[in-house]
Amino acid sequence: MSAGERFADTFSLPKDMVLNATLFHMVGASELFVENFKGIISYTCHNILIKGNDMKYCVCGDCLMIEYYSNEDMKISGQIKEVKVIRN
Amino acid sequence: MQNGWIRFVRGFLVIKVDGDYLERFFNMCRMHDIDLWGIRKAKENEKDICMCEAYAADFFKMPPLLKKTGTKAHVVKKKGLPFYFPFIKKRIIFFAGVIICLALLNYVTDYVWAIEYIGNLQVSDDELSDFLERESIRYGMKKSSINCEEKEKKLRETFQNVTWTSIYFEGTKLFIEVKENEKSEPVQITTRGTNIIANEAGTITSIVTRNGVPKVKAGDRVEKGQILVAGGVPVYDESKSIVNFQIYDADADIYIRTPIEYKCVINSGYPVMVYTGDHVKMGFAEIGGYHIDGMPVWDFIEQNILKKEKENLYETAVEKHQVVLLDNIYLPVYYGSIDRKEYYIKYFTYTEEEMKNKLSESFEKFILGLEQKGVQIVEKNVKMVNSSKGMELFGSLLVVKQTGETADIPVNTAQENETN
Repeated sequence: MSAGERFADTFSLPKDMVLNATLFHMVGASELFVENFKGIISYTCHNILIKGNDMKYCVCGDCLMIEYYSNEDMKISGQIKEVKVIRN
Repeated sequence: MQNGWIRFVRGFLVIKVDGDYLERFFNMCRMHDIDLWGIRKAKENEKDICMCEAYAADFFKMPPLLKKTGTKAHVVKKKGLPFYFPFIKKRIIFFAGVIICLALLNYVTDYVWAIEYIGNLQVSDDELSDFLERESIRYGMKKSSINCEEKEKKLRETFQNVTWTSIYFEGTKLFIEVKENEKSEPVQITTRGTNIIANEAGTITSIVTRNGVPKVKAGDRVEKGQILVAGGVPVYDESKSIVNFQIYDADADIYIRTPIEYKCVINSGYPVMVYTGDHVKMGFAEIGGYHIDGMPVWDFIEQNILKKEKENLYETAVEKHQVVLLDNIYLPVYYGSIDRKEYYIKYFTYTEEEMKNKLSESFEKFILGLEQKGVQIVEKNVKMVNSSKGMELFGSLLVVKQTGETADIPVNTAQENETN
């Protein structure tokens, strides 16, 4: 566990704020809300590669669509099969 | 994330973007605060392209980004309110009409256009209407100017047998709902001191006194206005002299035998309405007190163009309806039909037999009326005489009927009685 994580645990602070981690919020298997990310690396119908602060995330599925893409957050919809973390 | 309505109001574009660095373009848009949504992959001529949506205003910020990323963008569709303005501009009268109509509807719904009474059995609709008139509540007045709670209180105060009231609006209709006390209060009888006097001259046939001192007995001849039962009852002392009078309301059943005269005249000539067959049915409209119908125009055409000779006597039946929206919004607009039939008066003459029958009929009706009132007929003499105008019936009846009407004991009499 990193020092940042220990600090967040000790003071009961949200880790996405302390660690600047990407936040994923999934509703069922069809909607995924992403916050605190840096950008999209690649986008196809079957996978979307998202760049976080120190790692990448791959959302795999079918008929994937970016419902909205703004400075604060994004929403992905479609048949989501898996969300993978790719460490650098 | 902004909702669809905000996007619609601000106006947005459906854009087709094509290039090798689409992701970079999206990221740069994000960095420059350009919101994108509806990003999806599509195929065009077997080539992968991307469709997205963005605000119309943001589209003008895109050219440097497109240039930098080597991406091409084409507007596929324009959506939203700003793009409807040219469409609205062409049909300005229609939209202005819709807006004026809505404004007028909003205006007229602030007023009372119908009143309904609910639950009143003892208190009549006319009495309630008079009450509303006194309280200055009438058709066409503003709903906000009526203080329902205050009027409810006044209504309860005015009508003693009303135990509960509710005045409320439904649309433009004012409802006056009341509940009445079904158990009537015992009537408070106050003694005023009254005599019973004869209504007419005649001979008393029977008298049963319940209250007061009878002044006549059966077989006595009385004149009109004569006291039959006195309300002042004398109080005697031991020497049998009157010391005081107790005042009561005289009450008795008195029957009198009295003559009644009956006269009926019938003219030999009588009028009859004869319809010419000229029958006009026409619609009309009434808006805010202004009446519009085609009758004057029709009369003008008949008199000046068709040159018809008119009788100028009409029987008119009007059917009137009020315009109601959604069952409750009564508007000051009425429509209906006017049914006008032209007629003239023609005089016919009765035969002697017909006149006799008519007179007999009216006399029998008179007799039936007397019998229904409980009048006993002892004797009747009827004579029919021809006159210059037609025929006359003279009836002379001797009847036995109930008589007596209450009259207040005169003050000076009462005082005299007291002094005696």
